[in-house]
Amino acid sequence: MRRRLGPAALVLAGALALAGCGGSDSGSDSGSGSADGKAELSVGSAYMPQPVSDEMAAGFFTVTNKGGAADELTSVTSDVAGQVTVHETVGGAMREVKDLKVPAHGELVLKSGGDHLMFEQLKRKPKEGQTVTVELRFARSGPVKVEMPVKSATYHPKTGH
Amino acid sequence: MVSEDAGTEKAATVLDKPFEKPDLVLTDTQGKKYDLRKETEGKPTLIYFGYTHCPDVCPSTMSNIAVAKKQLPKAEQDDLRVVFVTTDPDRDNPAELGKWLKGIDPQFIGLTGDFATIQAGARTLGISIDAPRKDKNGKVISEHGTQVIAFSPKTDGGYVLYGEGATVDDYTKDLPAIVKGANP
Repeated sequence: MRRRLGPAALVLAGALALAGCGGSDSGSDSGSGSADGKAELSVGSAYMPQPVSDEMAAGFFTVTNKGGAADELTSVTSDVAGQVTVHETVGGAMREVKDLKVPAHGELVLKSGGDHLMFEQLKRKPKEGQTVTVELRFARSGPVKVEMPVKSATYHPKTGH
Repeated sequence: MVSEDAGTEKAATVLDKPFEKPDLVLTDTQGKKYDLRKETEGKPTLIYFGYTHCPDVCPSTMSNIAVAKKQLPKAEQDDLRVVFVTTDPDRDNPAELGKWLKGIDPQFIGLTGDFATIQAGARTLGISIDAPRKDKNGKVISEHGTQVIAFSPKTDGGYVLYGEGATVDDYTKDLPAIVKGANP
């Protein structure tokens, strides 16, 4: 019996560590797994397609997390917009979401047709070649300032134009 | 629709059984009656259902088509009918729709009207859209179609589908065939 307990206990410990990692969004940091890391975020591939409307625009980027704990993108502000909200796309509907998870050792990808930023109450209409400033705030990590280049209305990261 | 990351796949889907053009009589951006079947008969036609308070997919879809269209010979540009039917007719009145489309391509046709009529027309093309509704904060949530449908000038049938993953390059490559009713 004792010999069989060994591996079982190991598996259990592994599961606990995993739960500690993924479960850090629960707000509880009492688990033993939470000590093993924190989120290490960097933001890349940011762009805004030149908007058609003078009222609203979209924005995209990728947040990479090299750290061992998850984080969440909770709010966004920008110099060009009165309001910036985070949206997910479900079928043909876009829904505002409270936060978007950045998994441990993973990525949060905002892209056309999927999760995206919605800029409203534009103070000026961003033009291709300009840059807009966006500040991303997270549940745990400090805020990240992103200089977001304005690309053509048809820009696609995969083709680069 | 799982068309994401299909970078190497063809954007166009040629249908075995083309769709009949929806029998839609709506209002154009001049506020005039527009009979879709009559006005686009014998013309290569692209139809998309969307709304102007849409930051992402609707403007990028229409902009992709606009840029691709400009690479056609002038006569073919004039021949092509690109029809944007609003899914949010309360907010997208003829003036709003006209202003928005002018920023993309002044030749594009914008149609608005009774939501139930638009919804029924979309449904005949396999496009399902719900009526705009308000979320908890009172913001209007509208829906757009996820496909562009190309109709042949030879048969008036909707014979090619494009998902939202279609890029400007895809349309640029395919439009010369579409305007002739050929398979891309």
